[in-house]
Amino acid sequence: MPVTSNASAQAAPAAASQRGRGALIGAGLLALALLPLVAGASPYMLGLLISALILAGLALSWALLGNLGGMVSFGHAAFFGVGAYGSALLAGKLGVPVLLAIPLGGLIATVFSLAMLPALRLSGPYFALAILAYAQIFRILATELDWLTGGAAGLQRYPGLPTVLGFNLADRAGSYVLVLACVVVFALVYMALRRSHVGTALRAIADSEDATRVVGVNATVLKTWMLLLSAFIAGVFGALNAHIIGFLEPDYAFSGIWSVMPIIAAVFGGYRSVLGPIFGAVVIYLFDQVIAKSLIPVGHQILLGIVLAIMVLLAPNGLSGLVARFLPRLAGRGLSNAEKGHA
Amino acid sequence: MTELILQALFSGVLIGSVYALVALGLALAFGAMRIINLAHGELVLLAAYMAYLVESRTGLDPYFAIPLALVVVAAASFVLFLLVDRIKDHRELNSLILTFAIGIILTNAILLVFASDVRTTASPFLQDAVSLGDLFAMRSEIIAFVLSLVLMGALWWWLKSSWYGRAVRAVSSNRGAAKLMGINPTRIETVSFLVAGALASFAGVALYTMSVVQPATGHALTVKAFIITVLAGVGSIPGVFLGAVLLGVTEALTVTLASSALQELAGMVLFLLVLFLMPNGLFGARARRG
Amino acid sequence: MLELDAVTVRFGGLTALSGISFRIAQGEILGLVGPNGAGKTTLFNSISGLVKARGRISFNGREVTSLPLHKRARAGIGRTFQIPQPMHHLTVRENLAVAQVFGAGRYDEKRIDEILAVMELSHKADADAATALALQELKRLEIAKALATEPKLLLLDEVLAGLESNAKRSFMLKLKELHALFGLTIVIVEHDIETISGLCTRAVVLNFGQLIADGTPAEVFNNPAVVESYTGTAHA
Repeated sequence: MPVTSNASAQAAPAAASQRGRGALIGAGLLALALLPLVAGASPYMLGLLISALILAGLALSWALLGNLGGMVSFGHAAFFGVGAYGSALLAGKLGVPVLLAIPLGGLIATVFSLAMLPALRLSGPYFALAILAYAQIFRILATELDWLTGGAAGLQRYPGLPTVLGFNLADRAGSYVLVLACVVVFALVYMALRRSHVGTALRAIADSEDATRVVGVNATVLKTWMLLLSAFIAGVFGALNAHIIGFLEPDYAFSGIWSVMPIIAAVFGGYRSVLGPIFGAVVIYLFDQVIAKSLIPVGHQILLGIVLAIMVLLAPNGLSGLVARFLPRLAGRGLSNAEKGHA
Repeated sequence: MTELILQALFSGVLIGSVYALVALGLALAFGAMRIINLAHGELVLLAAYMAYLVESRTGLDPYFAIPLALVVVAAASFVLFLLVDRIKDHRELNSLILTFAIGIILTNAILLVFASDVRTTASPFLQDAVSLGDLFAMRSEIIAFVLSLVLMGALWWWLKSSWYGRAVRAVSSNRGAAKLMGINPTRIETVSFLVAGALASFAGVALYTMSVVQPATGHALTVKAFIITVLAGVGSIPGVFLGAVLLGVTEALTVTLASSALQELAGMVLFLLVLFLMPNGLFGARARRG
Repeated sequence: MLELDAVTVRFGGLTALSGISFRIAQGEILGLVGPNGAGKTTLFNSISGLVKARGRISFNGREVTSLPLHKRARAGIGRTFQIPQPMHHLTVRENLAVAQVFGAGRYDEKRIDEILAVMELSHKADADAATALALQELKRLEIAKALATEPKLLLLDEVLAGLESNAKRSFMLKLKELHALFGLTIVIVEHDIETISGLCTRAVVLNFGQLIADGTPAEVFNNPAVVESYTGTAHA
């Protein structure tokens, strides 16, 4: 047994330094994320960053479902829109405090996702398109149920973000911090989940379903939890977005954009990692809004389509996969281990 | 009221025949490669815009665009196949995302070149109403219907009796065994994509003559084609035709009895109902469980 | 502890198992014998819940015929696959951890280490299961994974195949050790008559989906019907 004890003796400090490096990277990223506030970014730039972070949360939710649940969704707009309408209606019609209405909006999206449970037994493309169908149905329902949702004209009179302890969340800097905090919290939840035994089992289900079930794993239940969690996260960011922009209409809240952009962002950044989708969302959104739009005012999404196609063909593990492959020293053991999990 | 319903049924059958062409293209590519081509509707759309291009530039009848559409769309379909064929890992998921990306590229390329305006034929001859008893249709709809039936018959005959057709069926039912029989799957897949492109060309031109197109139509067509394959399975041409007619009729009835805003909803609800209540499709066995 | 009563499995028009009935007592090591295609793996699949069977399967006095796969694993039915099916992209240790957490409902790292040691996999504990293991190691992982679920009944599908005779003998000792150490009841699919005779207290013979003999290995292998079915495959 000398081999074993030797290996574990090496593994312990490596794991510790890995954790230390992880914390360092996390702190560095957080500092970088708060830089715009300190450096006094223009309101326009802050507005862009807020939208980018909303998209980051949505991309995180999409990637969680894809990576842990093994499901590709072409209809995340469904959860995003339901969360937005749920929160806006609770706050606007029932007077629920906004900061409570936002997580409740996420919960409502979760409840609506229960309607999608029958789709869980469908394989790949059938599941993807079934979710797309739900997104369309919800959009049409939001348009038709005008006594509740204001119909095609939409909702405008509902409260925005409040002031908490003298800190005005409704101004750009406040909104930025709030959305950033939500992204960080859900990223931490995702990381913890991925490291847990549940995460390990989910990783196994994707490629070896029978082998996993035969040792007692209930694949359906675990996938269900991932769908519910993904819906919750997407719903929360839909709700946040609703209170930040201050208006909702069905064609906006359930727009295909909210289904398409997270896919592009997550695939670009690497949907099998946690930071990939977040980083991908920021890069892709800023690229689209700042560069692509100025180059091609109408039809700028063609560039996103090209980026997506190139990534799938040349780097299917996204930027995080490239980083793990080409910067092994910088990334260290942590990322190379993570990449193993990705493959 | 009965007349309105009969008229809706009639219109539904006519548009359904064109949906069937679109869905058959999707089914061919799926049969050969086991991937859902999410850019297939955009290929149809590309053909429709070729018809618009020819009609608006030359003043010729849109049908004269068919040769151009065949070349352009088959080329696009071929390029698409080459790209999809490069994917080796996680083929199902990555090919779904890749074809989705190509769909975005095609939609926006069309938007860039042709703008977002709604287009349809300007030909009074094609838009003329013809009556069959109490039922009315545009001349273009009748032509499209006949064209679709002829093409479906040709496809049926081709799949049944040509060497390629047999090989396509062999590859789609058992890839490994087909290889052992000396069939080169890549060649078969190429032919399948080319034929899918040809069907898309005819469907696109027909659609332009009988309906309206805009850049977003492509995605909607992909979804319709997918719904039809869920209704019918991808196994048989008559099955796909019936599924397509069912979708066309459902949409037409919804527009007549409720509102045109609900047209898309009807298709989606039909899709989900069949998916959950009849997981084997309306006409037979299909594997779609994970 | 396991009772099969008229277990029948049909695939379309093909009858893979017809009316199989027998009982296994606590602590037995039962050899499941029969030519290829006799239905041995299908029997394992129906006991572990991978295929739906008609008839009645009870385990520890509880009917499990329509219980899903994962619940049977939790109830104490562990199995291996003839072609090893590790959980891909997980390390050996993670394979066992998942099996233990979900199959046995608890996490006990000490016991995982113990199983790794018994199955001689300690040195590969942190290696990727699917890519870094040799075939015989994968077969040991199959058993280790099943053990981690803390089964009462262990179904072993040709775990000794491909071993040369010395290795086979030491592996037989290993199985006897596991049997005693974990208080198991074992059903093992095996072709080799000597192995069955050396390992099992009882053997059941299947042919064309039917049970044709049941008894001690000596009785079974002197049964003319068994000899015939066996010489038949020996030539094939």
